[in-house]
Amino acid sequence: MRTLRAAKGWVRPREAEGEPLIRVRGLRVSYGSREVLRGVDLDVRRGETLVILGPSGCGKTTLLRQLEALDRPSAGSVSIAGVDILRASRRQLEGVRRLMGVSFQSAAMFNSMTVGDNVALPLREHTDLAESTIQVLLRMKLQQVGLIGVEDLYPSQLSGGMRKRASLARALALDPEILFFDEPSAGLDPIIAAGIDQLILSLKEAFHMTIIVVTHEMHSAFLIADRMCMLDEGRILAVGAAEVIRSHPHPRVQQFLNRVPDPVDEGSSSYIVGGRQ
Amino acid sequence: MTFLESVGYRAIRRVEYVGALCIQFWQGSRFVLRVNPFAGRRLRWRRLTQQMAEIGVRSLPVLCLVAGATGMIMALQSGAELRKFGAMEAVINLVGTSMTRELGPLIAAIVVIGRSGSAISAEVATMVVTEEVDALKAMALDPLDFLVAPKYVAMVVVMPCLTIAAVFSGILAGGVFAYFTLGMTLVMYLRRTAEILLMRDVVSGLVKALVFGSIIVHVGCLEGFRVSGGPEGVGKSTTGAVVKSIFLVIVADLICTAFFYFFWR
Repeated sequence: MRTLRAAKGWVRPREAEGEPLIRVRGLRVSYGSREVLRGVDLDVRRGETLVILGPSGCGKTTLLRQLEALDRPSAGSVSIAGVDILRASRRQLEGVRRLMGVSFQSAAMFNSMTVGDNVALPLREHTDLAESTIQVLLRMKLQQVGLIGVEDLYPSQLSGGMRKRASLARALALDPEILFFDEPSAGLDPIIAAGIDQLILSLKEAFHMTIIVVTHEMHSAFLIADRMCMLDEGRILAVGAAEVIRSHPHPRVQQFLNRVPDPVDEGSSSYIVGGRQ
Repeated sequence: MTFLESVGYRAIRRVEYVGALCIQFWQGSRFVLRVNPFAGRRLRWRRLTQQMAEIGVRSLPVLCLVAGATGMIMALQSGAELRKFGAMEAVINLVGTSMTRELGPLIAAIVVIGRSGSAISAEVATMVVTEEVDALKAMALDPLDFLVAPKYVAMVVVMPCLTIAAVFSGILAGGVFAYFTLGMTLVMYLRRTAEILLMRDVVSGLVKALVFGSIIVHVGCLEGFRVSGGPEGVGKSTTGAVVKSIFLVIVADLICTAFFYFFWR
């Protein structure tokens, strides 16, 4: 498959010996006057599974979009496989993106195409494979995520969990080296969410991919992570293995892990607003 | 914000918008040649034919009705005035030249803005909101290549055809007027119209159709790409696409008309 990806003149970028696969330095991202990321430094090593945790609005998805090279930062640098995203040419950026597979929070399947066409799209666009081979590959990819016989259905005909799996099959189409998940179990029932966790674990084991996951689900995070990174208010509070995070002394980390609510402001008597006694 | 600051801020936003349109047009143009039946897996070609059917074929009935009604209205209004001077035959000149130079392309543009400009904007905006555009980028596919180029090529092919259909409908409606008021047969009327029309009239109408088509596609797509605020933003981007397209089409019409007036008399 590696040779197939090179079929259309793609030059595979590669980080230097001893360098992390993804290196983030002093990353700042602002939307208007609001600074969402305030100087993030992070390394992701080849083959590890990194889970990014943090309360809602802390900048997890913004950080993920930077790592996916979807947005450009206001300041700082993101380097993926040795390519500085801020200075990269369009061609280099394309080269980096072909190393990646992204499973979006909303699945992001193209609703005007069948599931089969969705999964086959990267293969049709980036390889010179014969259509018969593409058909075989797309069935393999769907089978890999536990979907059989859905290639002629439209995404709207699938359940939420099936859509996420189909989106994962599309992300896996070109055998990516880095796989990104944005809230993989959001909106799914615990059984399907557990199935997605198992899928991530099996991908990690079978293909030794570098996997980066943004999630709120603590159980899932501790199950799949080699390392965890906790963000709060645009800064990294803690990075380390699951045990390091679990015993981290920072009060905000412990508050998040132990699900302790923020103290209620004086003057407001309850979390429940409205409703007269 | 003072009054002057507010005026300056709005002016800068308008200039920035036109700049963004020009950049999108320039960057999108690089992908136009990829929309052909021999490139890749014909995905773009398939999208092109779908768009041509959507923009062109499905707009045709309503366009012919609107253009026919406009031609008839023009004939009736001008006939009422020209009768006073005994120049009823000038109605043929008036309907023929104004439909070919001006009203045909403009009516086609307005119908296409209403039907397709809004639909293009809604489609792109929905794709942005549901992260489909991000998914394209993540797959190393340029949205300008995959989304905009087939729509642009479809519009460039279809708009001149729709303009010709609008011109014919308007002129034929004028022919009905001529039959009842001047006793002129349709063949005589069409022959007379062909005599008075110049190559300049036809070319200026077709050039306008191309310019209007480019504006409609690029405004629709830009409004879609700039959607913000989730699903409710889709509605706003659709409204924005229609309003801005109509405004820019009329400004472009003025510029084209002035150009042909001064440089090709």
